[in-house]
Amino acid sequence: MRLSPDCIKRLCARRGVSLQAFLESAGVSRTAYYSLIRKNSILPRSVQAMAGMLGVAPSSILYEEPPVAGRAQAQIQEAAGVLALNPRATFENVWHTLVLLDEPPIERLRRSLLRGRTHHLH
Amino acid sequence: MAAPTIFTEAEQAFLRELRLRRVEFMIVGLAAAALQGTPAVTQDIDLWFKDLGDRRIHEALARVGGIYVPPTATTPPMFAGKNVALFDIVLTMHGLRDFGRELRNTRVVRIGRTTVRVLSLERIIVSKKAANREKDRLILPVLEDALATLKTTRRK
Repeated sequence: MRLSPDCIKRLCARRGVSLQAFLESAGVSRTAYYSLIRKNSILPRSVQAMAGMLGVAPSSILYEEPPVAGRAQAQIQEAAGVLALNPRATFENVWHTLVLLDEPPIERLRRSLLRGRTHHLH
Repeated sequence: MAAPTIFTEAEQAFLRELRLRRVEFMIVGLAAAALQGTPAVTQDIDLWFKDLGDRRIHEALARVGGIYVPPTATTPPMFAGKNVALFDIVLTMHGLRDFGRELRNTRVVRIGRTTVRVLSLERIIVSKKAANREKDRLILPVLEDALATLKTTRRK
């Protein structure tokens, strides 16, 4: 995967900033920028190697974290699905369970203990 | 990420030491429910041991600077020491079968650098129903909704 200078120039123009101003605000030196656009691939060699071993394009094994709002929307839909099949369940319990299931077990336990201990102190 | 202020590495060490010594135990109660995604609050981590007289428990305690406090006429058996203060000893689980049989109703859950057996949400619900204290009755809807969520979404 390569960095597209055309795409960057187009987006800069759309935002009304020069390439130089854009690089400065992004904290990227001109040297680093021109070095990046000359590279055949900006991905780490390890990623390319894994993709090569699997016989797929590197983009096939990459994914983008959904933005927070998108994740929340997905959880609301998931909660609605659970409630449709379990009408006696409450949205609050289902929602909080789904949120906790996104965390590793140790973080779920920490939240539980933290709230339990805070509640105990008051 | 900021360092956790509760259930720190030092507190997890006791579980690791128990596992290293192959002590047979499981996490039960609301800590077990929380590990499986239940939005419940708890103050302690309840541990159910197959044999509380197992010397390896004392060895694990010694490794993390804890001690075993035997029961008296008025107090239950306890662990004492900064790194084990979060852990409570459970002697009986209302409504459940013996330790060996309930071991089949556990899930292996990763906690930090170790894995532990955790009583399933289904069996936690059975024990809470059997105990039937006011606090058990209050938490039951939350446990049941969490179980419904896990079953419907097939998430862990």
